[in-house]
Amino acid sequence: MGEYAPILVLGAIAAGFAIFSVAIAPLTGPRRYNRAKLDRYESGIQPTPVPEGGGRIPVKYFFTAMMFIVFDIEIVFLYPFAVAFDALSWFAVLAVLLFLVNITVAYAYEWRRGGMAWD
Amino acid sequence: MNDPVWVVVLKAVLIFVILVLYTLFNIWFERRVVARMQHRVGPNVNGPFGLLQSLADGVKLALKEDLVVKAADKLVYVLAPILATIPAFLAWAVIPFGPEVRIPFTDTYTALQLTDLPVGVLYVLAVTSIGVYGIVLAGWSSGSTYALLGGLRSSAQVISYEVAMGLSFVTVFLYAGSMSTSEIVAAQEDLWYFLPLVPSFLIYVVAMVGETNRAPFDLPEAEGELVGGFHTEYSSLKFALFFLAEYVNMVTVSAIATTLFLGGWRAPFGLAQVWEGANDGYWPVLWFLGKTLGFIFLFIWLRGTLPRLRYDQFMTFGWKVLIPAALAWTVAVIVLRKAQQEGQLDRTALLVAAGVAAVVLLATLLLPGRRGDEPAESEPADEPDFDAYAGGYPVPPPQAPHVPTRPWTQTAIAHHARDKEDSDA
Amino acid sequence: MTAFWVLAPFMVLAALGLVLARKAVHAALCLAVVMISLAVLYAAQGAPFLFAVQIVVYTGAIMMLFLFVLMLVGVESAESLAESIPGQRIGAVVVALVFGALGVVGVAQSVTGAVVGVDAANEGGNVEGLAALMFGPYVLAFEATAALLITAVLGAMVLAHRERLGRRLTQREVAEGRLQDYAHHGTHPGQLPTPGVFARHNAVDTPALLPDGSVVETSVPAPLRARDQVRPGDRSEVDAVARELEPGEDPR
Repeated sequence: MGEYAPILVLGAIAAGFAIFSVAIAPLTGPRRYNRAKLDRYESGIQPTPVPEGGGRIPVKYFFTAMMFIVFDIEIVFLYPFAVAFDALSWFAVLAVLLFLVNITVAYAYEWRRGGMAWD
Repeated sequence: MNDPVWVVVLKAVLIFVILVLYTLFNIWFERRVVARMQHRVGPNVNGPFGLLQSLADGVKLALKEDLVVKAADKLVYVLAPILATIPAFLAWAVIPFGPEVRIPFTDTYTALQLTDLPVGVLYVLAVTSIGVYGIVLAGWSSGSTYALLGGLRSSAQVISYEVAMGLSFVTVFLYAGSMSTSEIVAAQEDLWYFLPLVPSFLIYVVAMVGETNRAPFDLPEAEGELVGGFHTEYSSLKFALFFLAEYVNMVTVSAIATTLFLGGWRAPFGLAQVWEGANDGYWPVLWFLGKTLGFIFLFIWLRGTLPRLRYDQFMTFGWKVLIPAALAWTVAVIVLRKAQQEGQLDRTALLVAAGVAAVVLLATLLLPGRRGDEPAESEPADEPDFDAYAGGYPVPPPQAPHVPTRPWTQTAIAHHARDKEDSDA
Repeated sequence: MTAFWVLAPFMVLAALGLVLARKAVHAALCLAVVMISLAVLYAAQGAPFLFAVQIVVYTGAIMMLFLFVLMLVGVESAESLAESIPGQRIGAVVVALVFGALGVVGVAQSVTGAVVGVDAANEGGNVEGLAALMFGPYVLAFEATAALLITAVLGAMVLAHRERLGRRLTQREVAEGRLQDYAHHGTHPGQLPTPGVFARHNAVDTPALLPDGSVVETSVPAPLRARDQVRPGDRSEVDAVARELEPGEDPR
């Protein structure tokens, strides 16, 4: 079998287990209807019709996701560089350093403007 | 690696069974160790030492009512626990448990690793990033404020700490020259990487605790604020799946730490020198699981020791401390190693520089800490007349005399003395 | 090739789901299915690095951004079907036809000929080969990526960041402010009083009563007061419950 087939086998076992568990759960447990059980839990008060703020989240999370993408791409570029490090010259090292400096500019800008400040 | 089909299936089933059993064991282990740290006993009724407690809990969860909240988005609500579980197991496909061994009762030789990808570690990162979907979708589909906030916090937390984690891997790849887990273990034959790469190792250990939503970074499940976080609305086996996924993820990050920094399945320091066969046969599985268990103990220890961080402290720590530190260290390693390879820097100079850096770092710990913008303590003579109502609420003056012993202590002493007199009489 | 024929139907179905789904999150999920399938196709064609990167970057990072943006816009919001640009439908059909033709031509060219060169490209290792290209001939494109990423961050900050006016208060300052309020306006500095104990459905919708029987307004959370869900919690309430339990009989 190839490199990836074992992953599929393990995935199939895990998926089988997870789907079986989810499917069997309604059968093994009791069923006693109670209106309050099917309501959302909000520490005892009548659940709000729509989650807080209309189900909208703070824009801060957007910055976090954006910075994550930037760093994720940086890491993805760094990995092949690190693996092939011994075969690469100072030129490649300088190219990577320049790349890192550029990323850090964006990072520093967001830090300075307070995009990473939570309260 | 080209195994026959039955070997692959056998190994996959074994990995699955080991992970489920390890999870059951870890839940029991955590409860016992935390209990010990808190001067309690912990579960000790079901089975020897209470070992079957987690199994009993699992059965109990299966016998609970399976609720689907009215406001939930049914399809996604059911899909979320499945999505959280599968990637947790998938990550183990590339973890090496040991070297090549002979399967008992047969003539088949196989490595104790399901499959060996050239991008092994990156594959683990990829699979964990799918696991986050389970969390964020569980939070969204429940249609509840607590769950939504918990899911969001959790995913924001995982992605924040994944950056530092990913950066700490770079130096390991640099040293090993490969992303394949088996080759990284092979490259650590002489020196385990946690020694030359201490900062990477420390950054990884912090990031792995943040990545798995464990104390002191367990904000998504901050029960004081968010009830249960993303799984507030889940019950029965669906909840059990989230629980399982969380514990499997904990073992996964521990296994990655072992593989990348602690020599993987290699026998502990010195053991291989005195005992030839320590790295052969099935013994390495023991070393591997032992090292992993060490990290699990660290997780439990942290939980028993540290209070939870505030959300802003947590995000500040991740983005403004861990990531810059990881970046700076990575750049330093890149430049120094290239200089060393090109012969512009010899080994002794590097070691001396590292020593000086370590001494300077230690010296900064001894410096008096900065106390923010608070004014220095002024002399009592300069202080204006004490106004008890200055803060809006009456407070005693700072120089007020304090009662040396608490009244109840004095009463107790008096009682004791009287009892003694009575008995003497 | 097997992988392609197995995955292609799923990808087409998921892509259709992406277009047809009512809820934005469902559409995003369908997109994730397409992207993961694409990653598997990369793996099947001998590009392990691209396989992992496709999942890490697209499925992991960019989809997470999508989900966050969707939640930013509102969890319950469904797509509006009103046309905002005149002639949108005709334009869409024309563009779709042109794009479809392009796709058919492109795919036809790559499917008819045998694919060569993967083994040669992967000779010294897939990742190593990639690195040699990326830090050799394509180093300019690599640097340009950094510029793109900076643009993305700047765009996000310019569009969505709100400048903080004034300093953030520390816990100490907040506490001192409370006490000043107490000193000057008599505002209660501590916690609000807890709700009453007569609970039927919810625990916190019944106000606490003072010794003289009057209601403590602040003991019920403000949202409940605003929604008018507060129960009186006095004698009449007790009587009502008792009547419900034993109809037709005077509880006292």
